Amino acid sequence: MNEIVAPSNKETNANESSGLHKDASFETLLEVEKISLSFGGVHALDEVTFDIRKGEIRAIIGPNGAGKSSMLNVINGFYQPQQGFIKYKGNERKKMSPQIAASQGIARTFQNIALFRGMSTLDNIMTGRNLKMRRGIFWQMIHWGPARNEEIHHREIAEHVIDFLEIEPIRKTPVGRLPYGLQKRVELGRALAAQPDLLLLDEPMAGMNVEEKEDMCRFIIDVNEEFGTTIALIEHDMGVVMDLSDRVVVLNYGKKIADGTPDFVRADQGVVDAYLGVSEK
Amino acid sequence: MAQTHKIVTSDKLSATLDHEFDTFPKLLERNVIERPKRTAMREKDFGIWQSWTWEEVSIQVKLIACGLASLGLRRGDPVAIIGDNRPRLYWTIAAVQALGGIPVPMYQDAVADEIKFVLGHALVRFAVVEDQEQIDKLLSVFNDCPNLEFIIYDQPRGMRNYKESHLYYIEDVINEGDEFDKSKPSFFSDEVSKGDSADTAIILYTSGTTGEPKGVVLTHEAIYLTSVNAADQEGINENDECLAYLPMAWAGDHVLSYAQSYAVGFCVSCPESSETLLNDLRELGPTYFFAPPRIYENVLTSVMIRISDSSSIKRKMFDFFMKVARRSGADILDKKQVSVMDRFLYFLGEILVYGPLKNTLGLSLIRNAYTAGEAIGPDIFLFYRSLGINLKQLYGSTEASVFITAQPNGEVKPDTVGVPTPGVEITVSEAGEVMFRSPGVFKEYFKNPEATSETKTHDGWVRTGDAGLVGDDGHLRIIDRAKDVGRLSNGTLFAPKYIENKLKFFSHIKEAVAFGDEREFCAVIVNIDLEAVGNWAEQNGITYSSYQELASLPRIYDLVQENIEQVNDELSKETNLAGAQIKRFLILHKELHADDGELTRTRKVRRSFIAEKYNLLIDSLYGDDNHCKITTELTFEDGRKGLVSADLIIRTITYANKLAAE
Repeated sequence: MNEIVAPSNKETNANESSGLHKDASFETLLEVEKISLSFGGVHALDEVTFDIRKGEIRAIIGPNGAGKSSMLNVINGFYQPQQGFIKYKGNERKKMSPQIAASQGIARTFQNIALFRGMSTLDNIMTGRNLKMRRGIFWQMIHWGPARNEEIHHREIAEHVIDFLEIEPIRKTPVGRLPYGLQKRVELGRALAAQPDLLLLDEPMAGMNVEEKEDMCRFIIDVNEEFGTTIALIEHDMGVVMDLSDRVVVLNYGKKIADGTPDFVRADQGVVDAYLGVSEK
Repeated sequence: MAQTHKIVTSDKLSATLDHEFDTFPKLLERNVIERPKRTAMREKDFGIWQSWTWEEVSIQVKLIACGLASLGLRRGDPVAIIGDNRPRLYWTIAAVQALGGIPVPMYQDAVADEIKFVLGHALVRFAVVEDQEQIDKLLSVFNDCPNLEFIIYDQPRGMRNYKESHLYYIEDVINEGDEFDKSKPSFFSDEVSKGDSADTAIILYTSGTTGEPKGVVLTHEAIYLTSVNAADQEGINENDECLAYLPMAWAGDHVLSYAQSYAVGFCVSCPESSETLLNDLRELGPTYFFAPPRIYENVLTSVMIRISDSSSIKRKMFDFFMKVARRSGADILDKKQVSVMDRFLYFLGEILVYGPLKNTLGLSLIRNAYTAGEAIGPDIFLFYRSLGINLKQLYGSTEASVFITAQPNGEVKPDTVGVPTPGVEITVSEAGEVMFRSPGVFKEYFKNPEATSETKTHDGWVRTGDAGLVGDDGHLRIIDRAKDVGRLSNGTLFAPKYIENKLKFFSHIKEAVAFGDEREFCAVIVNIDLEAVGNWAEQNGITYSSYQELASLPRIYDLVQENIEQVNDELSKETNLAGAQIKRFLILHKELHADDGELTRTRKVRRSFIAEKYNLLIDSLYGDDNHCKITTELTFEDGRKGLVSADLIIRTITYANKLAAE
């Protein structure tokens, strides 16, 4: 009965309980304004404009090569767009480096898992706290006094993440030995450990079986509803996208072709054509 | 009648009741006076062991009690408690008892229908549960349980969208209790002092191998005296440590993790989750441990699998020292005479193999470890004992507040369940049924006088339903369930459980169900152990895609047949059972499961249910065919049902030779 809490509760939710950060004033967390990105002659993104509201789950979808991952890479500063700008938390920025993005509360997971395979789950999640550690390498080496207290504080946060994601049994297991679905969960854990305002998820459910997908959906909803974290996600599973997200932006060949609620996007002819192709007459 | 038979008792006398502290809430007060700063409870949470002293526990109990009182809990109200072993759920038991209510713990993996029965039968008004999972089950039957008014939960996770007005978060209840306590400071202690040793302390619903569950009503006096008596015989004291991981609804856990802890004052720890159990066990190193045989089996299986995967030097070392341990380990533990050479080798083995192994398993500090509930394989039993782990068998039942007999140190044998604990009298009736009388005898089955009078005689003897005999050494041996012992059509004695246990002692066989009463011969349905057989298949290069396919492979049949032939060989050596050797068998295509009603929640085979469900298979077993088509319904974990069909092979085995000589 509680398979995935999302679909049935979504509407009521938006208006009632979490309306706090959901509609109210439509406070915008991030704006993408006429972003263009090209690699040589390839136009990965072409004047893409959309916004992400505070507290929402925003999906970015599109066929293969539509520019979805490039878009995420632009948002967290990994790619520099040739044109356009990004406005995050009210500050306009032409250039953004991954470091700045991370320190300002943007965390992400990757399409191909990017964990430290030889390190334990706990250590991997602790790396998510790295930017928040204020003591230098010297203090950390002697591991005494303030550095120790700081580590205890960070460990506590990491343990809350472990508890939240229900990965206690694998706390000390090297990540490389874990099955794929759990590695994805650990990666989400590392992103959560940074206590982000904006969480970017690049295909969080790729390659998972149904049960793992259901688990991951539940965690995404829980993160969004319990912590009020804004989430932007790329996903291929349409069922998941339509159930999970508040609004969907659709890219095709680097261009935005639709933007709106899941129902709106689903009914859009341009989107259907982009996915199914059009016969030429 | 029973009285004409020999009655066996312990030479130690039963403890007596201290009238100042004759209920568990009062014992909690005593512990606060006697050992306020000693740790009473631990739980691993957020990766750390959090602990509470007796003083802190008593405050929590008081607040929960006051909170429940402010919601309107009255004396005599039953309170359902459902969830994994969590400190707050244990405290709720004490809180409910303090108010004169009756805790009714239930199995956390029970499906909604089973819960509905108990809620309705016990007229439960309050339910204190662990998490969303349990809440969902309760809400699905809420409308069918008119008495149920309040549901209190311990874990807020996932509960934000639940708007039902009868749901309460336990911390809110505790805060409410704090207010209540401030306005009526003497309320709690007044309520505690109203308690009487003859009051009902708890109702434990037995999972029941037959029919609906029965609610066993136990008084404070019965549980307290039994707990203290057993602790006395076994030397359990406040320095002991135990891990609470078995279902709270099981009498064993209630007595061990709650009653004995309150009575003796030792510390109880709750694991982080059921999946981290083995890890937590290792971190904690309990001195007092209680587990059903299957846990010991599982641990041994995983040890063996890991050893077989290790390097050849390690494997050889393990094999060599295990041989030494098997020869002399148990004798050293029993303080018997052992040659100097063996002592030296055992000492070396302790450093190289046994010590590290025990440490990995978390069993290095064990003073008393018990197995109960089912027979344990002699090999498994001796494996642990030879490592120097003081594993012992005990025999008990919910109706006796658990302890009936236990093996005293130095008198441990694999085939007995020990001698009566202090205050317990046992005897064997003419029909061969074991009966007992003790201070721990249950008051009645709740709202079931028929069953009560069937089980309990007017002079206080309780029928256990087990067939057994008392040896010259005063030790009790259990053969089988009394009603299951039957005869083949040629008159040979047939003890199905005895045969099943012999089969289950092989690592490849998980469950076995034997048939033969009033039949020509004995036939069995076998369930393979996926882990052990899967591993064997992997090592032998056999591929399979599912449990069903694995179970149908001819080479797996060969493997099981070897085991059965060995059992036949053993049976042939026993004069009165030689005729009941196994003639035909098949391997079932699905695992027997409690969700399908084939096992009880404590994983005991429900033979009559299986006989009915698989009557087609049984007919074929006694027919001439060598295969049988069957379609069965199975229940998924979320309650959905599905159908699975299979064509099962049936094999015929020749009897072991000795029979021919007869």
